[in-house]
Amino acid sequence: MSWGEFWVVLVVCGLTMLACRVLPLFLLKGRELPPTLSRALGFIPPAAFAALVANDLLTPGMLSAGLWPAGIPLVAALCVVAVACKTKSLLWSAVAGVASYALLTLI
Amino acid sequence: MICREHIRDAFHAAVPIMLGYVAIGIPCGILCDSIGLGPLQVFLLSALFYSGAGQFMIPNMYLAASPLASIIASVSLVNTRQMLYSASFAPECQGVSKRLAFFFAATVTDESYGVSTAKFAEGGWSVDRALMVNLLSQSSWALSNVAGALLGGAIGIPLNIAAFAMTSIFICLLVTQRMTSANIVAIVLAMAGVYACKAVGLTGPAILVGALLGVAGAMAYASARDRRIVERSAQMDAARRADAVGVAGTGDGASGGAGAEGGVRR
Repeated sequence: MSWGEFWVVLVVCGLTMLACRVLPLFLLKGRELPPTLSRALGFIPPAAFAALVANDLLTPGMLSAGLWPAGIPLVAALCVVAVACKTKSLLWSAVAGVASYALLTLI
Repeated sequence: MICREHIRDAFHAAVPIMLGYVAIGIPCGILCDSIGLGPLQVFLLSALFYSGAGQFMIPNMYLAASPLASIIASVSLVNTRQMLYSASFAPECQGVSKRLAFFFAATVTDESYGVSTAKFAEGGWSVDRALMVNLLSQSSWALSNVAGALLGGAIGIPLNIAAFAMTSIFICLLVTQRMTSANIVAIVLAMAGVYACKAVGLTGPAILVGALLGVAGAMAYASARDRRIVERSAQMDAARRADAVGVAGTGDGASGGAGAEGGVRR
């Protein structure tokens, strides 16, 4: 990637990112939030994390070429779920995820 | 405002994110090096753009020979989910100075959003601590990326395994949500939405569309449930009133109790 291309990507992505991060907060800040909106805001965390997890783990047709090794991320994800439920720790979850993924790849 | 105690709180909350960012930042830097970006460029991206998913997508799509416009559009679409995080912090930033709110909002990521939301819900948390969590995380991200770019291909880390650290962090943030029935509706619909988007080729907006579908579905579910509760209690009130009128005619003193029982039976 050349410096010219780099600047285009950095400036455009940087500006859209900044707008997405800052504008909604300043538009809503200092107002009495209607109950419907604050209820909707409460549903953002479960919905957003479910979407991020699904985006990383699920691809249509992923298992059509056989259950293994395509199933490795799914099995590793189950290990992470168990560790996360038990420890509630981000760090242990990350360690468990990477370790189980690496072990399953070696098998 | 910034005292040692707050810095210590913030550091404790930020450690898991910082270590996670080392694990995914180094491979991200290596990936950027593979398309010819130098340490300075990788640092600028981490400092001014600061997006894990985005900084992985740029080299991946560039390697796949995607045109620049398509890279920018996809990365920006994936990052529109940040609007949801930003909106959700509006109540916490009430009465906080504009500058603090700006720098806090400008440095929120998926992981620091998860940690800050949990901390604000626990109580005893503040925007200045949350900003420090963001800045500590960003420092770790930037340094790890630069380290990765400097190392380049010299060490052979399998990128897919390292990237799973990020997935694991999202999984932990997901399973530690309160599993109310409405939240479960949100989770199932969000996952189904992402899958459906990918199935029809809308990979860029999949996360945003899935998340919005989850929020909308949970809202519909919760308001339908409210309506049922309101209807049921209205029915009970009406029955109670009808009974009270009937009983009052007989001149019985115990009309209230009898009326309520009648309402329940019906």
